[in-house]
Amino acid sequence: MGIDINIRVTGGAGQGVHTVSNLIMRMVAGAGYRFHVTQDYVSRIRGGRNAQGIRIGSEPVRAGREEADVLLALNPDLLPDYLPDVGEGGFALADVPSADPPLFRAPLKEMAVQAGSPILANVAGTGAIACALGIPLETADAVFASDFKGDFVEKNRAALRLGADWAKENLPEKIRERFRLPPRSHSRPIILSGNEALALGAIAGGCKFAAGYPMTPGTGILSVLANEGPSVGLVFEQAEDEIAALTMAIGASYTGARTIVATSGGGFALMVEALSLAGMMETPVVIVVAMRPGPATGMPTRTEQGDLEFVLSAGHGEFPRLVLTPGSPEEAFELAQRAMDLAEEFQVPVFLLTDQYLADTVVDIDPENLVVRPLRRHIVRGDSIPRTQQGKYLRHAYTESGISPMAVPGEPGITVVVDSDEHTEDGHLSEDHATRIRMVEKRLRKGVTLAGKTIPPLFTGPPNGDLVLIGFGSTKEVIEETRRILAREGRNVATVHLRQVWPFPAEEIAGIVPRFGAALTVENNARGQLARVIRSECGVRIDGTVSRYDGLPFTPAALARDVRRRI
Amino acid sequence: MTGKYETDFENAWCPGCGNFGILNAVTMALEATGREKHEIVLVSGIGQAAKLPHSVDVNVFNGLHGRALPAAAAIKMANPGLTVIVTSGDGDIYGEGGNHFLHNIRRNVDIALFVHDNQVYGLTKGQPSPTANAGWTGSLQRAGVISGPFPPLAVALALGCGFVARGYAADPAFTSDLMLQAIRFPGFALVDILQPCVTFNRKNTYQWYGKMVHKLPPDHDVTDRGKAMTLALEWEERIPLGVLYRKEKPTFEQLHPQVPGLPLGERETPEEAVRALLRRRQAVPG
Repeated sequence: MGIDINIRVTGGAGQGVHTVSNLIMRMVAGAGYRFHVTQDYVSRIRGGRNAQGIRIGSEPVRAGREEADVLLALNPDLLPDYLPDVGEGGFALADVPSADPPLFRAPLKEMAVQAGSPILANVAGTGAIACALGIPLETADAVFASDFKGDFVEKNRAALRLGADWAKENLPEKIRERFRLPPRSHSRPIILSGNEALALGAIAGGCKFAAGYPMTPGTGILSVLANEGPSVGLVFEQAEDEIAALTMAIGASYTGARTIVATSGGGFALMVEALSLAGMMETPVVIVVAMRPGPATGMPTRTEQGDLEFVLSAGHGEFPRLVLTPGSPEEAFELAQRAMDLAEEFQVPVFLLTDQYLADTVVDIDPENLVVRPLRRHIVRGDSIPRTQQGKYLRHAYTESGISPMAVPGEPGITVVVDSDEHTEDGHLSEDHATRIRMVEKRLRKGVTLAGKTIPPLFTGPPNGDLVLIGFGSTKEVIEETRRILAREGRNVATVHLRQVWPFPAEEIAGIVPRFGAALTVENNARGQLARVIRSECGVRIDGTVSRYDGLPFTPAALARDVRRRI
Repeated sequence: MTGKYETDFENAWCPGCGNFGILNAVTMALEATGREKHEIVLVSGIGQAAKLPHSVDVNVFNGLHGRALPAAAAIKMANPGLTVIVTSGDGDIYGEGGNHFLHNIRRNVDIALFVHDNQVYGLTKGQPSPTANAGWTGSLQRAGVISGPFPPLAVALALGCGFVARGYAADPAFTSDLMLQAIRFPGFALVDILQPCVTFNRKNTYQWYGKMVHKLPPDHDVTDRGKAMTLALEWEERIPLGVLYRKEKPTFEQLHPQVPGLPLGERETPEEAVRALLRRRQAVPG
């Protein structure tokens, strides 16, 4: 096995935990190594404390680990909680009066003051870790130069070097030997969080209008759209509430723009009436629901997959929708592009269902794995707009596929009429029952057409065997690493990752499950919502669910333990 | 109705409904703009008033109750070349859509808002709207309305709305002129239109309004916000009609760096621009 080093950084809010992980990952990438960064991984719930895990490897790293090799405790009060997770041969750093290995007394505050600012204790700690890893300190220079201004750049450099000098003198040679990363050629990967990847994917997919009301963990998406969308002419507006956000997106979409909104479960609850409007008006829109634990405010900064059934059934009335569930930042980039395209092609709401874990996970991606797909527009313009003998354009014309050619306001000679009421082909409201039946069937035909274009699940492992693990969305990489752990133990385990949960890929799942002795879903929720969907859509046997609902994501080792208990 | 924007849509308004006068005023105002039907979007919510756009042959977005304004604002952002007008009821705009009313005045997108203000929910058969006077007995308020009335013009003025006017359904020519001014005003423009409800409002009738309303004199100073506020709150003795306040300021479209230019739906996304955004996140060699 190649290099696998897990660093945990913990501290109170404002102590710069995030700065440390940001620095380390960019230094590690600069040194040619791969990484995976995410928030708090440990199994015990720890209130409002911040912790980040940076797992480093020589090959791509796609999941975290509970056991830490290196711990930097910026707040020593947290040591009793975190020190037990430091594994055999690892070390911990904290500014404590005295310490015994694996804990070392690092005078972080003193070094920070010496560097010019007491708040740089985190950077001094980073310097100590960089020394232990043998990463050249120059790899941080570009980060400092881009993130800081004035003499603060120099102060950061000084703090980093003081920390490194301290480590050289005070960390045993044995430790530095163990963790030293051999020099490596550099591949220049692209560093993306799940939220960033999704937002950039939407931009690549031609998104030109975004509206939102800030809500963790979806805000990061709005931030990228607002700050980087302008380079492609995207208009972002912060709405007065989520109801307005989705309604605005629908208005812009009616006018021809590709649109997106991003929120979490609570914000989506407010958007639900507008979702139904999009269904009725057949207006394309992409809705990101980045899940966090509920009900109500729940645990705002933690993760859960508890809104699957909500998203599948939200909205009054019956209308087709598409629900995509990216499993990694790469997939978020890809599926966000496809979401923009499919929404316009089918004139339906398309969901990107993610969660806090995926939103905040940061990985390095080889540029060739971020494919920018050519844009296809589906809006009819000018002479290609179909007209009746009277010269009228019918926004909701009956078609075999259920999809009516979509024109937008501003085309000479025609008007575009849409209504939240049931309507005739020309969009004007109607209470005629025969019309109602034809329109219901037209809308539902789009769902059938849509089901014929399902993005298939990803299957990995032997074609048949003892067990198949099935998950959706953010659990993808953890389940995959768990499969590899179990395979090394000689267990015949396969995995299925659903990238699309609606229309449900029933045929594929029904074909896979019977080939295995047992089938378990792996879900970050308490009720096994995916298992329920599979049973109702495929009628196949699901033997149970490995659940986690403490607000934290799965980790491979813990998931492997849970799975072993079930088989 | 006849003319450039005629449709064969049959609305379900009661004979004598103030909506007929408002529809007349809207079509006269639209004719006066000289805009073609494909350049105009009428946006509404839900209620008897909100059905008006179906009777006018222009682009129509008849959305959800209370939600006309956010849709209209975004339509204008997506294509500022369109003339965007919201025409809907008082319950829709001031009640269900109250939050959007507040914040779209602040946003100052160049749209005109015509509110059919009859103090009553007609489609649901006679409940008080937010502008109903206290004491009014509705089907759900047998003991009378307890809440005080919502003062739309005063609220708009307080929020800095640049065009605040009041029309009267029984005077379509006069109201049409206010509408035309509102459409031409660069920014968010409100015309609250007094509208007798012949079925459910037995107090605020054509006769009652006939005695109460008075047109503002030609020498009224439309730039005096304090005076406008005083007029906006007049109700018990007499009710002013006309433009209470008018003051231009930069619109959302002028201030938002990305709105000017091609309609959003016609903008390209060059692959190189996307690649450039990705490159900004590329690791730097050590």
